[in-house]
Amino acid sequence: MTRDTEVLVLGGGSTGCGIARDLAMRGVDVTLVERGNLTGGTTGRMHGLLHSGGRYAVSDQASATECIEENKILRDIAGHCVEMTGGLFVQRPEDSDEYFQEKLEGCRECGIPAEVLSARESREVEPYLATDIKRSIKVPDGAIDPFRLCVANAIDAQNHGARIETHAKVIDLLRDGDDIYGVKVKHDSGPGKRTHNTAGSTEEITAEYVVNATGAWAGQIGAMADLDVEVRPSKGVMTIMNVRQVDTVVNRCRPKGDADIIVPHETTAILGTTDEEVEDPDDYPEEQWEVDHMIDTLKELVPILEEARTIRSFWGVRPLYEPPGTGTTDPTDITRDFFLLDHDDRDGVDGMASIVGGKFTTYRAMAEDITDHVCEKLGVDARCVTAEEPLPGSEDMSILNEGMDNFGLRSPVARRSKQRLGSRAQDVLDTNECNPVICQCEGVTRAEIRDAIDQSGSDLNAVRIRTRASMGNCQGGFCCHNMANELSHEYDEETVRAALDELFQERWKGERHALWGEQLSQAMLNYALHATTMNRDNDPANGSKAVDFGAFDGGRVKARTDGGE
Amino acid sequence: MSDAEQPTDSHIPGTEEFEPVDVFPEANEMDLRPGADNCYKCSTCDTNCPVAEVDDDFPGPKFQGPEQWRLKRQDDYDIDESVMKCSNCLRCDSACPSSVPLSQMHNTARAEYVEKHMSKYSREYWRNRMLANYRRLAPLGAMFPRTANFMTSLPFTGFLGEKILGIAGDRDFPTFATETFRKWWTKRGGAKVSNPDKRVAYFHGCYSNFNTPEVAKALVRVYEHFGYEIMVPEQSCSGTPMFANGMLDDARRAAETNVPELAAAIDDGADIIASCSSCSMSLRQEYPELFDIEDIERVSANTWDAIEYLRVHEDLEGALEGATVGEEFDDFAYHAPCHARNQGLDGQTVELLGLVDDVDAYDVGDSCSGISGTYGWKAENYETSMKIGEEMFEHMEHAPADTGLTECPTCSMQMGHGTGYEIRHTLEVLEAALVGSETGDA
Amino acid sequence: MAIEDDVLVIGGGLAGVTAALAAADEGTQVRLVTYKQSTLRHASGLIDVLGYTPDGEGPIVDPFDELEELPEGHPYERVGVDAVRDALEFFDDVVGDAYAGGHTDDNALVPTHGGTVKPTARYPSATAAGVASAPEDTLLVGFETLPDFEAPLAAAHLEAAGAPFEARGVTITFPGIKRDDAKVTRYAHLLDWDESVDGTTGARDALAAAVSDHLEDESRVGFPAVLGDDHPEEVRADLEDALGVEVFEVPMGPPSLPGMRLEDVLYSALEEKGVRVTSGVPVVDYETNGDPGRIDQVIVDRNGADVPHHADQYILATGGLVGKGVSSEREGVFEPLFDCYVPHAADRYDWFVDDVFGDQPYARFGVVPDTELRPLDEDDEPEFSNLRAVGGVLGGYDYAAEKSGGGVSLSTGYVAGKRAAKQVGE
Repeated sequence: MTRDTEVLVLGGGSTGCGIARDLAMRGVDVTLVERGNLTGGTTGRMHGLLHSGGRYAVSDQASATECIEENKILRDIAGHCVEMTGGLFVQRPEDSDEYFQEKLEGCRECGIPAEVLSARESREVEPYLATDIKRSIKVPDGAIDPFRLCVANAIDAQNHGARIETHAKVIDLLRDGDDIYGVKVKHDSGPGKRTHNTAGSTEEITAEYVVNATGAWAGQIGAMADLDVEVRPSKGVMTIMNVRQVDTVVNRCRPKGDADIIVPHETTAILGTTDEEVEDPDDYPEEQWEVDHMIDTLKELVPILEEARTIRSFWGVRPLYEPPGTGTTDPTDITRDFFLLDHDDRDGVDGMASIVGGKFTTYRAMAEDITDHVCEKLGVDARCVTAEEPLPGSEDMSILNEGMDNFGLRSPVARRSKQRLGSRAQDVLDTNECNPVICQCEGVTRAEIRDAIDQSGSDLNAVRIRTRASMGNCQGGFCCHNMANELSHEYDEETVRAALDELFQERWKGERHALWGEQLSQAMLNYALHATTMNRDNDPANGSKAVDFGAFDGGRVKARTDGGE
Repeated sequence: MSDAEQPTDSHIPGTEEFEPVDVFPEANEMDLRPGADNCYKCSTCDTNCPVAEVDDDFPGPKFQGPEQWRLKRQDDYDIDESVMKCSNCLRCDSACPSSVPLSQMHNTARAEYVEKHMSKYSREYWRNRMLANYRRLAPLGAMFPRTANFMTSLPFTGFLGEKILGIAGDRDFPTFATETFRKWWTKRGGAKVSNPDKRVAYFHGCYSNFNTPEVAKALVRVYEHFGYEIMVPEQSCSGTPMFANGMLDDARRAAETNVPELAAAIDDGADIIASCSSCSMSLRQEYPELFDIEDIERVSANTWDAIEYLRVHEDLEGALEGATVGEEFDDFAYHAPCHARNQGLDGQTVELLGLVDDVDAYDVGDSCSGISGTYGWKAENYETSMKIGEEMFEHMEHAPADTGLTECPTCSMQMGHGTGYEIRHTLEVLEAALVGSETGDA
Repeated sequence: MAIEDDVLVIGGGLAGVTAALAAADEGTQVRLVTYKQSTLRHASGLIDVLGYTPDGEGPIVDPFDELEELPEGHPYERVGVDAVRDALEFFDDVVGDAYAGGHTDDNALVPTHGGTVKPTARYPSATAAGVASAPEDTLLVGFETLPDFEAPLAAAHLEAAGAPFEARGVTITFPGIKRDDAKVTRYAHLLDWDESVDGTTGARDALAAAVSDHLEDESRVGFPAVLGDDHPEEVRADLEDALGVEVFEVPMGPPSLPGMRLEDVLYSALEEKGVRVTSGVPVVDYETNGDPGRIDQVIVDRNGADVPHHADQYILATGGLVGKGVSSEREGVFEPLFDCYVPHAADRYDWFVDDVFGDQPYARFGVVPDTELRPLDEDDEPEFSNLRAVGGVLGGYDYAAEKSGGGVSLSTGYVAGKRAAKQVGE
């Protein structure tokens, strides 16, 4: 029986996209389905740390070693997604000297370059560090943009022939006896790029082999075929600061604990995190104490965080897994290693493997392992090249450093645009059209927005993750509307309106967790702009009841009776 | 007065050290990114920018300030060159409803731009440096005022200035007084009133020393009228033109002269007063924002606009009620300088002159004069500067008065240049109303 | 010594200026102290009175039908319906020809830059020809360098909203704009001074020429609100002459030229009525003298110097969360100047609801006034006998949802100004 595709990958996070790219580059026909946008699950909800491995140098040296290896690879293949900020493990006076020493030695054992900085040297690197810190260890941590990385993997997979379907939710696994042969998906708006207000459809996609890369949702997928995947979702909060208080990753140097890391991420800094097991990765409480805990604990390292503005908070759900019978109670103690569950070996059900556990930094290595496994199953003999071939946008990073033209943009806008677009900058920004800035907080121009729309359809959240537009301090208050305006060149008014409403609500969702001080004032201004000035909350176009225009004041009598002067 | 016995006219501090040094030796002095936290993007600052209104090459203070800073990473030094088009009028500062430190951001970014991107061998750099350091050139003019005035009045001087230095050829150089204020003060024997309970230290600034000593003299007579003992401490430029040109290092050196001198006067029981609105603005706001010098906060907190000081400490309104100025003055077209506006002083002059019987001051609106210190002196800005001034010129011409009035020396140049009116300082009018307009040396 | 006046108004937005004008009208010496520029520059320039009931019913044709029904504690209930009418008349007097809509109690429906329409009671004369309740075909013109207003989209949206006319939109290049990020004031300045855009053609003619190619049989043309700052009437008249149809502006978000023009009109009125204006400096503190329930003087911070100001009566018009008359921290919400009581839930997560346009508690933050507009403390007693609060600093209403911001500012400002003036010297 012919199948629609050789391999079907479920899940458009870093793992799924990484697998799709790897398979496609090895010449395998692959289809990836994702229920929302790419990165919509855990990948888009992480702190953006590119691990040096230092965090695992004491507790899990195997992971640490893998991290530093992948760290080096990602710098090469994904230069436009990575910022090599460096990282510090900062010791406060109350933190243990013994642990500091263990950390230092652990790093060295794992091949992680590590250097001890005095308090003064540390503060020269990061002036906003607390004055009473003791010392720190400098390691090659970095910051990575998970959105761009994931999208670049997907684009490259597409370039190698893969089919990527977002907004395609798996509603059933197709199982025939002991063989899984595909899935049934529900397309939000039909296959292809998403367009709001287009009727949905369902599709059965058959495949030789199915890879369940849905992470924290792997248990739910497994259950569709009566397979038990014991994933233990664990939530963690991350709070986004409006500006970068630090330009280096700042870790607290102590054994384990919540709220121990600050990652400079693009224009912001992200505080993280907590670790708490949840039942359902789609429904868990997001609580005030978690946000307060981030600020109140991390201000011990960087005191200005106390007064600084946060623009939103979000929660991610780790896809933790441990083999049955391990019995770890504290989720922080569950291994960060990944597991490949071959359901044939495990459950006697052929045609599917699930991938659980793992961490973002090593997504590529994980993808390589799984792809090896799948290729073996399919009898494909091809070498993995994902560690050598740069991702789209990172083909030639040197051109960025050699004073590329500013394309008529103000220099900080040009700089940020080029950092985001990497080697695609010329293609996207070199335009004869006028190119005003659409998102002023993040310096995103019309050309970049339209490029993202070309990639992703009418979904403005997909535009957002590609460009960062609406991710700055106004949280979209001033630019959501302008982003939507850019859609109108390809989509009708009703579609644009639906896309705008969706983005605006999404922005509010995270901003709610930052509603005090400046961000509350910002929220009120945003609300006033959208409700008072634009009357979007009572838009007659959305209403069920027609407005009787004729009953209202028709303007100056003069103009109406004599038809003007 | 001991501090008046050694006037600083001949002393030109800092001439020996012209090498630019790193403006930001400490990384923590320059990181203004947290200042972007206050911005909620309302763009009120942009609507107040007189430059963005006439020149779309300047993208406005919101971009220059919070946006540019927020987009910056620690090692980024590519400040957009448009920061050099900011005229440093500071209107954005008093506009921002959310207290974003806009002018501090601009001043710091401009200094960074000059430091990292402007060639130290360029004509622009040296022209800006010269304009910023008027304080150093003026003594030469003051030494030979007649020659200097003659030279600067010749058409070819303007031509050469424009061609060689990029100084607007259409502008008339300010006339140097035949006797500086400090010379007059020394000759006069310093203060005539001694009063340990009411002491002020006068920061006269450069212009009323070298060019309009009549303003400084008016201040002396008015303050002595109210029984104040006046001190005239040694002083250097307030720094305003240096901030505006990104010459923070020069400004810091000047501040290092001014702050200890003024702090010493405060220790002697004096408050600091200034007759120039840019000088008082600089001491009050920019000093503590930009420099970390011992006593700088104290100097800032004890500095006043000279007229405001009298208003708060004396019954100035009572004294002016029904007073007359006589024949010397007719009605005025009054322009509130941006730097006075920033200090909440924009309504002061009209309110006070309203009490005087035979003179009225008509406010010519809240627009910027357009010269903004050294800005309008640059050939490349001349046209923009005159465009900005258009609104003020129009309002001046509509006001029922033929004399201009203001408290800022460069606004006064612009007002005169655009209308041909004679321009006076409010202190001169107060002197006439309170002391009489005798012009003796006493 | 303190600077002396009869009535001191703190805050220079619509409510503060109205209060100052109303008090000055009674012959008292009034000073208005305003720190930063007011939220007038954020506002569209429309004067809304009541477009929707607090339950979300609407759009309301005649706000006066609904004002009586508002719940106790709503600012309109505090001042009474007659005061709203008086305040609107007072406003009409002050602004004269600059505003329209005073010929009827009914709201007009005005197109917004998002393409919706909204009910409003008074609108700038520049917007008058554009009311959506008039059935006249409309051409909307947008500029490619102003991404806030997408004219074809707005036109389609107007039709989707059921507007009783044909609307069409075009996007053109604004003649004379050289950079893609030019500010709206630059557009306005080009038109105000009719600057030459190519050495010979003035900006007004050039703009009209660029539009006329697109004009079919529409009887009116709408532009984003950039048609002049100082001379908007002239600009519009010239465009109308050249195009042979009526020209109007679609109100825009911040920064708003119609808001700036209204500010100019109001501040000219202050000057005419002899109100003293001190701007650019904040009131930072107050002092009592003997009676803790009466403000003796307030302290103005002039770049570090404390300048005392004394008045008999004080009016608090410092705005809401946006104007910074209401502040917040993680732990609570407060009125920063006099520390007047601001009711709010102890749990920060009860300050909002999950639907962005839902019934947002934060939108109602503000001080609670008695019928004299004196802010009340937690026990419903006036905080001070000589302090009144007006406009955005008042709580208990959601101006954004109700479309009631302008009307509340006018009516509370008017009432507080009059009453404060009457009480001077009592």
